[in-house]
Amino acid sequence: MRKFWDVAWHEYSRHVFRKRFIFALLSMPLLLALMVGMVILVIWLDSNPTPIGYIDHSGVLAKPIPQPAVKWPERYITMVPYSDEASARADLQSGKLQVYYILPADYLQTGQAQEIYLKEPKGLSTQQFDSFLSTNLLANQPKDIANRILEGTQLITQSADKSREATQDRIANIILPFLSGILFIIAMSTSSGYLMQAVVEEKENRTMEIVVTSVSPGQLMGGKILADIAVGVTQLLVWAIFIVLILIFGRSYIPFLSGITFSLGTVAVLLAVMVPAFVMICGLMAAIGATVTEASEGQQVMGLFTIPIWLPYILIATFLQNPNSPLAVILSFFPLTAPMTVAMRIGFSNIPTWQIITSIIILVISAIGAIWLAGRAFRLGMLRYGQRLHWKEIFRLQRV
Amino acid sequence: MATVELSHISKSFGTLKAVDDVSFEVEKGEIFGLLGPNGAGKTTAIRVLLDIFKPDHGSVSILGGPMTETKKDHIGYMPEERGMYQDIPLDRCLVYLSTLKGMEPMEARRRISEYLERFDLASSRHKKVKELSKGMQQKAQLITTLIHNPQLVIIDEPFSGLDPVNTQMVKDLLNEQRDKGVTILMSTHQMHQVEELCDRIVLIDHGRTVLYGGLNEIRKQFSGHAVIVGTPDILPTLPGVEHVEKHNSSAYRLNLSPTTNTQDVLRTLVEKGLHIDQFEIAAPTLDEIFIRVVQQDDLEQGERL
Repeated sequence: MRKFWDVAWHEYSRHVFRKRFIFALLSMPLLLALMVGMVILVIWLDSNPTPIGYIDHSGVLAKPIPQPAVKWPERYITMVPYSDEASARADLQSGKLQVYYILPADYLQTGQAQEIYLKEPKGLSTQQFDSFLSTNLLANQPKDIANRILEGTQLITQSADKSREATQDRIANIILPFLSGILFIIAMSTSSGYLMQAVVEEKENRTMEIVVTSVSPGQLMGGKILADIAVGVTQLLVWAIFIVLILIFGRSYIPFLSGITFSLGTVAVLLAVMVPAFVMICGLMAAIGATVTEASEGQQVMGLFTIPIWLPYILIATFLQNPNSPLAVILSFFPLTAPMTVAMRIGFSNIPTWQIITSIIILVISAIGAIWLAGRAFRLGMLRYGQRLHWKEIFRLQRV
Repeated sequence: MATVELSHISKSFGTLKAVDDVSFEVEKGEIFGLLGPNGAGKTTAIRVLLDIFKPDHGSVSILGGPMTETKKDHIGYMPEERGMYQDIPLDRCLVYLSTLKGMEPMEARRRISEYLERFDLASSRHKKVKELSKGMQQKAQLITTLIHNPQLVIIDEPFSGLDPVNTQMVKDLLNEQRDKGVTILMSTHQMHQVEELCDRIVLIDHGRTVLYGGLNEIRKQFSGHAVIVGTPDILPTLPGVEHVEKHNSSAYRLNLSPTTNTQDVLRTLVEKGLHIDQFEIAAPTLDEIFIRVVQQDDLEQGERL
């Protein structure tokens, strides 16, 4: 048993402590951080702190209440009252104002105002003036009613059994399982790719013969598969930590992120689908590694498996339209397409429990089958140098 | 009891019969030579013996029974296709392969240091394996074969890629192991090394055993009734000698009649006052035996086909 752990640790450490891995590991969160940074920069650049002027003939802004504070990186804009348009125009031309508004005497009846600018103001500037106007219009209303009006309507769609709901501003919750699915599959592909590479490398550098006369093929393959799953988990954990950090720090600035909540049920289903899928993919990759003779050849065969794994992603529009269509159900039951299909459907709709359970059972059986296949392919193909093992040989009845 | 016993082993790959009814035993504490031309089935026989391949027929007993996981820790194997992890430092590679042989990492490190010193590799211990020369990698491979003090060493072409100094070092090492009671099965093409090191041999050709036994008996079996006489003088006609031929620039080969005693020939030569530099029974070299047996076997194979 100790040798199993020796193999696993050796395999794990030789991937995880490599520059290549660390770079790949950090590139995704760095990319995310960069994206958040870009959003912050865009908001900052988009917000112009130059004051906004107004000439109020309607009396709505007679006793002006400043608009609520804005969140950094958006910058607060001071609203400057003018009694006549000439002085406002002069300030606009000298650059002291970015825009000024004229509220006519019948503003309350028509709801129409004039906006005068030299260069069209950015969206954030008009938003702040809107907010200033709304605050003052609602100044006489009770606070809760004022807030209600300011926040507007919120549409909540619930499933019949009320177990799930979707809200307009929580669109992120719908695509979150889907995004986690993608991350899971990326981690899975990377680490199972490492596994395949490790097996081919051992064949290529002829270490295999020494290793198999030291440990049993079961210990060797088991150790390797465990190590590569651990590599994938490491990758996911690091990413998860970064994502949580980004959610914590980013949600203040990016409204899209603020609605995100995690449902334990969804997480549990995702894990129940992804873990056997992970083992299955690892088994398949190990089997490919054992049958081919060169890493480059392995990459090509690996591509064939990658297509069905990502196929549901191509069908995203179909799934969005009808997440419980027969096609979606069939793809949930096909081992290679199941992980992505389930991850997408779980976000878009309520998958019937029997379908989830069937999918998990199929994946678990496939995982066991893939490991068996890997073991057999390995036993037959481990010492084939320069000669590829044919798949029919694996299934042929022979002593190995 | 023999350390290794192969009994009527056969193994085919598709239509190719790589090993066909091969049997031999390797006794404890001997250096045993597994010989044969390229593609004869030596490596397959070794792989069957090590349980890498299951035989189609026959049985293998190693260290007193079938191969087990525990027994793997008592066997050192150096395959013909040298293999080390190329991308990691030498010492890490050696420690890992040692732990796979059941050694504790601490103990492995201590012994690796000793071996690296002895093999003149100490200064390269932190270098990546791929940065080492072929000969250095070969020595490193030997370390992984011997580090765990195996009871049985199976070594395929131990001298390939080594210069004369390192060849001698490996020979000394193998003799030292034999003196410690380690059983060594060696497969090589270098017949003079076999003559120097091996106690017994088996010669495989076309997957079948064509020669098996003690080195001396085999040589005796192949020696004709002849003597080699080294002399600067001209040889006179001698009684009991059927035919004389030049052996090399300073020696003759005297083929004797079946009734002639070699001692009588020597006595006659001395009595005739010849200056004798060399007098020996003409035993063929292993190289000659090898070629003769393999050619004969090829001929028979051809006839059979």
